[in-house]
Amino acid sequence: MFKFLLRSSLTTLGLALLAATSTLEAQLRDVVSKEVAVGRSEAALRLEFSDDGALEIAFEDGLVVIDGDVVGMFEPGDQLEAAWRSLLGQAVSLDDGELAIMLSDWSVPADLANDLADLAREVDRALEDALSSFEITVSSNSSRAPVTVAGDPGSLLSLFLNATGELGLLGEALAGLRGEFAIHIDEDVVVPAGSTVDGTLVVIQGDARIEGEVDGDVIVVDGTLELLEGSRVRGEVRLADARLVRNLGTVEDGLVDLLEEERVNESEIRSKIREEVQAELRAQLRREIRDMTRLEFSDADNGFSLMAPFRSVFRGVGELVKNLISILVLGLLGAGAVAFAGTNVDTIADTARRSPGRSAMVGMAGTLLLIPVWLLGAVALTVSVIGIPVALVWLPLFPLAACAAGVMGYVVVARNTGEWLADSEYPWTGWIRKSNPIYTIFGGLFGLMLAFMAANVLSITPFLGFLTGLLAFAGSVVTFFAIQIGFGAVLLTRAGRRNEWASTYDPDAAWERAMDVDVEVDVDETADKVDEDSDDA
Amino acid sequence: MRKALYIAAVTVAVAPALLAGQSWRTVTMSHQIEDNSEIRVFVEYGAGHLKIGAADGGVLYRMNLRYDEDIFEPVSDFSGDRLHLGVESIGRGFNIGRNKQSGELDLEFARGIPMDMDLEFGAVRADIDFGGLALTDLDLSTGASQSTIDISEPNSVGMSTARFEIGAAEFEARHLGNLNAERIEVDAGVGQVTLWLNGRWQRDASVSIDMGLGALELRVPEGLGLRLRKEGFLVSLDSEGLVKRGDWYYSLDYEDADRKVTVDLDAAFGSVKVVWVR
Repeated sequence: MFKFLLRSSLTTLGLALLAATSTLEAQLRDVVSKEVAVGRSEAALRLEFSDDGALEIAFEDGLVVIDGDVVGMFEPGDQLEAAWRSLLGQAVSLDDGELAIMLSDWSVPADLANDLADLAREVDRALEDALSSFEITVSSNSSRAPVTVAGDPGSLLSLFLNATGELGLLGEALAGLRGEFAIHIDEDVVVPAGSTVDGTLVVIQGDARIEGEVDGDVIVVDGTLELLEGSRVRGEVRLADARLVRNLGTVEDGLVDLLEEERVNESEIRSKIREEVQAELRAQLRREIRDMTRLEFSDADNGFSLMAPFRSVFRGVGELVKNLISILVLGLLGAGAVAFAGTNVDTIADTARRSPGRSAMVGMAGTLLLIPVWLLGAVALTVSVIGIPVALVWLPLFPLAACAAGVMGYVVVARNTGEWLADSEYPWTGWIRKSNPIYTIFGGLFGLMLAFMAANVLSITPFLGFLTGLLAFAGSVVTFFAIQIGFGAVLLTRAGRRNEWASTYDPDAAWERAMDVDVEVDVDETADKVDEDSDDA
Repeated sequence: MRKALYIAAVTVAVAPALLAGQSWRTVTMSHQIEDNSEIRVFVEYGAGHLKIGAADGGVLYRMNLRYDEDIFEPVSDFSGDRLHLGVESIGRGFNIGRNKQSGELDLEFARGIPMDMDLEFGAVRADIDFGGLALTDLDLSTGASQSTIDISEPNSVGMSTARFEIGAAEFEARHLGNLNAERIEVDAGVGQVTLWLNGRWQRDASVSIDMGLGALELRVPEGLGLRLRKEGFLVSLDSEGLVKRGDWYYSLDYEDADRKVTVDLDAAFGSVKVVWVR
């Protein structure tokens, strides 16, 4: 496939090159769209050209990426990144021609270290290759005559080859070449002993036999290379889909087999794909196991299941555990409220006990008005620009405050219920110590949720569905009124800060309750009696 | 109005996401004029400071955007005759405590290229100048914003209707005559709205104003024929310089005026004030 594309592309190129007089004129491409993005970990440039081409260079998270390919790494804040960001800073205010000139004129900063300089050259090359366009006019009397092009054939061929998409290898082989070039297409080349080729020698779809010297690079694409004894290449030898059949000469800058690099890259990619597939398979397996487990407990599974007889047990026990967790959480919240706002809790509790009807009415009215008040408050605040920040606080905090009031009210009613249970003669209530609000809160929560818990226990057994529903309904009613009474008491007392709805402390009543005696006495009579006793003495 | 209130609600819901440590990203985009005949522009911007104006040179549009990349991502899509610009929420943060600085969107559009403009803003402080642009249609929706719209130069192409939907906002539009519109519709929810009916009216026009709750001030240049009708529940009208005939209020020189503007006002609560300017 590669060879076919290469051959057809080169044929096209050859025809184009052989069609007219050989002149190559460089000019800058029209930039129709520019995007400069600069963030904490990113500095990117994206250009679109009038001929639908594009270039994207991004310095992102320590990587330099050109058109989606990682070409190197940098340290955030190093000289290269600073130079790149500086370039983008200039690019922001320029468009089209001025932008293209500025970008193509950019050169590698002189003070860069070796690695960074190489990377900067790569970026510079990408900019120049993308921004340059060539008008070619080639003429030749012989269809077999070698074509020598002065200028930057790397860019020229890259432009041509990138249009075909799959010939990146050839583009890579020709990337970064400078100076004079001799390009031989579809012909064999011999450099005789004692002769020297100035500049780079490119042989495409042909064999090169070097006996003399090449004062530059030798690039062979889709062919063979022979370096005979005494031959010398002063630059680099690049082989793209080509073979080195004999290597007896000297290559000063080394040899690069691009296909080998491709193979290495391919191996890495395969390894990555393998890892990703394995990870995906593992994830899928986990999902399937999870789904299977879920189906075992699901009502939707109408088929046979070993777990079917135990579903009601699991469900009932699960719900019971939920009830217990609710009691624990609410109890802890109540304990916290008693610890940090004991007086407020006392006031709310007293109000709920003394005025349950009024509290319930206020609670229900408050519940109905919650949403209208919330919305009206938001609208009122957003009328003015100054009020908008307050509205931002109002919108989330108001519902939170309402929920907190509801929970507080419920816990307080639970405490009253706990006290009542402590006074009662019911079995299993002896552990509730009336003097300790923590006991009364937990006792009350058990009392308020008793119906729910009973419903969940009954749901385990078959044939008692009606009774289960009845108990759940009773639990809902109890919970509803507990919340309404508690919420109303919280509103009436302004969260326990106003005690006008609660009773004032009556020491006589307290003694009566505590001692079970009537302590009502006439103060004057008592005083006379005290006097008499002292006279007798 | 429903749409505007929806935008306001979304804005208020999204706005807390702006409150925490941001990581700012700056994006500059521009596109050259090619063979563009008419383009349909859609701009959406949730929160921040918005500026729109006319571009010089051969630029079709230029966008300078500064935004919190943890919450938003830029939108720039130009395909066919449709241009979509702005930012979109990426739904990654509901972070209370952000917003030590706000984002910015600075847009410039080419002069002389006919544009059908559709703008949607949230909690935005907007300074917009349509002067020099060739608008064939205008739809502007704002949420909880403070917006100043100016048409500092006459619109070279006419439009049938310009629509402004305002949520909870402080909104001011100047030189509405330069819009070169047959009809201007203002749908305001809550807030203070100031409409300057100055500028160069190239034809008689009608202005329809639908207000929920707020204050409306009409600034009318002397010499412009004004006819106003008010409907509403609890709306006070300061009709200085107007004479009432039937259901309509007329400016004193209405019959002799070169250009006549009819204002049809429907408001629920609020006040309407007509101020004559030289």
